[in-house]
Amino acid sequence: MLEIRELTRRFGESTAVDRVSFEVPAGQMTGFVGANGAGKTTTMRMVMGVLGIDGGEVLWQGRPITRLDRRSFGYMPEERGLYPKQPISDQLVYVAQLKGMERTAARTAVAELLERFGLGERAKDHLEKLSLGNQQRVQIIASVLPRPAALILDEPFSGLDPLAVDSMVDLLRDYTRDGIPVLFSSHQLDLVERLCDRLVVLAHGRRVAAGTVAELRDAGVPRFRLVLGGDAGWVRDQGGLDVLDLDGTTALVEVQQSGAEQHLIAEATRRGDVHEFVRVRPALSEIYREATA
Amino acid sequence: MSTDDSTENREPAWLLVTRREIVSRITDKSFLIGTVLMVAMLVGFIGFSAWQDERTDEVTLGATPDAVAMATAIADNAAEVDDKVDVTLVELDDEAAARAALTEEEVDAWLHPVDGGWELTTESSEQDSLTDVARVVVRQQVLAENAAGVGSTVEALEAGSSVSTAFLRGDAEKAGVAEAVGFVFVFLFYFAALIFGMQLASSVIEEKQSRIVEIIAAAIPLRHLLAGKVLGNTALAVIQLMVYLAVGLVGLSFTSYKSYVPALSGPTAWFIGFFLAGFIALACLWAVAGSLASRTEDLQATSTPLTMLMLVMFFGGLSLDGRGQVIASFIPPVSAVVMPKRILAGGVGWWEPLVALGLLAVFAAVTVWVGERLYRRALLQTGGRVSLRQAWSAAE
Repeated sequence: MLEIRELTRRFGESTAVDRVSFEVPAGQMTGFVGANGAGKTTTMRMVMGVLGIDGGEVLWQGRPITRLDRRSFGYMPEERGLYPKQPISDQLVYVAQLKGMERTAARTAVAELLERFGLGERAKDHLEKLSLGNQQRVQIIASVLPRPAALILDEPFSGLDPLAVDSMVDLLRDYTRDGIPVLFSSHQLDLVERLCDRLVVLAHGRRVAAGTVAELRDAGVPRFRLVLGGDAGWVRDQGGLDVLDLDGTTALVEVQQSGAEQHLIAEATRRGDVHEFVRVRPALSEIYREATA
Repeated sequence: MSTDDSTENREPAWLLVTRREIVSRITDKSFLIGTVLMVAMLVGFIGFSAWQDERTDEVTLGATPDAVAMATAIADNAAEVDDKVDVTLVELDDEAAARAALTEEEVDAWLHPVDGGWELTTESSEQDSLTDVARVVVRQQVLAENAAGVGSTVEALEAGSSVSTAFLRGDAEKAGVAEAVGFVFVFLFYFAALIFGMQLASSVIEEKQSRIVEIIAAAIPLRHLLAGKVLGNTALAVIQLMVYLAVGLVGLSFTSYKSYVPALSGPTAWFIGFFLAGFIALACLWAVAGSLASRTEDLQATSTPLTMLMLVMFFGGLSLDGRGQVIASFIPPVSAVVMPKRILAGGVGWWEPLVALGLLAVFAAVTVWVGERLYRRALLQTGGRVSLRQAWSAAE
């Protein structure tokens, strides 16, 4: 497990990351969301040791992280970081060697991965000759060489078409299945909701929400929608509730006092037909908007 | 992790970087073509000079009857004055025939007497070697006649008037060769430091701009990246320099200057030593210039102090002499070009190059230390150009 504790980074007067704490549990995909400039990239760079830390710490398997730990991590920087004018297999072997692989082992591993991603034929091509989706594949190969202990991916899905996203997701799932923690940032919330086991939301350098998707959606004040056979005007007079919306036969209420919803449904059935009574969980985008507002 | 213990006996990171720098460059077509072109130019230049050197100037000299005697004297004595000139005499009937022959290019020049002397008429361009020969021979002939007229001899008239030159150290030709080779040294240093420096700086920007530097920084200490890049480029620059120097020296041994080749070998070896230390010092600074920029377009601005320094070295190396040269030959990094030039000229104490090289090495060590700090801090700063002050004081 990767733990980020009270991580802080200042640039001059401004605090880019302000006492941010969260966990990336083994075998789970943790999505890192937030607006541009919220501090996602800065946090990831600190985790990778590429940027100095002003306060707080990063723990790996319960102890402070070391250079060698980081060397075993797979890292994908925000802007695609490889040599545009070099054959892809050469530079992948180079990266693998920098990470401590022996040359022949690196060659074999690179050839295998290229084959697996359908790039076996392109091994000698320069990176810039490949399509964006394929470049991204090469990039991910660079980060999973050698077998990574953890994956830290900054915007791995940006610029990918839906099919490429799916194949990238399949690959990441292969790693989480083996118990590898994956942290990735994105501002495509639908994607994050679909993929992630957990979610961390940053705004202005602070952590504003964290947890599983279900936890986050359940976290707020519970809301219910009630659809009746007749007019719903009487709902306003019920205690312990806050009526958010009232439109003819439909009412949307927020429960201020626990148990108030039970009184509401009892009263509704006493008065006539009840067509619908459901808990309304906010969409992730709504939570995000509220959290970052 | 399980990889920890198995990684320590691998190749050191700086060596991996060095190898990549060298391999990626020598497989680069423009580098190979540039090197081959330079060698071809060197060979061509030396070949041309050798040919120029061996070539005999063949000129035809036209003479009307009143000048045949003098022209014959010129043709006969030409070889004594300049062994590269071969004069053939063509007798012409009169002035009109002479002018026609010149226009038709049957003769290169026409000799005829004028008031108080002789005139050599050519079509348009001057026949330098012929003119020189004619001046000497005509002067000898006329002087001999005039001397006879007053009952004396040329020798008697000229007695005690000669001024000869003597050098305590070497001779004029040797000094000329030293001057020329010195120019080549300065030029090669400037050329290599600029080309390889620029290349190094732009490869630093490429890594910074594409962010591969973040992947590298997460895997190895940046010190190793810098060391690998500097060593790789230095090795390439020195190898290329040695190829040029070898081609130059071998080429020289095919010309009439071949006797100088053994004497040039020592200074050339010194030059390589000075080049090595000087280049390492500058390469670190070039890497800093690259790390301060955030895009290739910024390099112009961030490398200005360096290009100025290179110009100072270039012109200093070429123009300094006397006491200024002696002082400059100890001041790094200018000493890298000035001291080899002094060694070429001769008269340098055995300890002087050693002291200069030692100072240059110290300077290189300082730039490596300063450069490493600036490079490490500027490299991971994104968003625009980084000033030296920011880089120096920035937190990592």
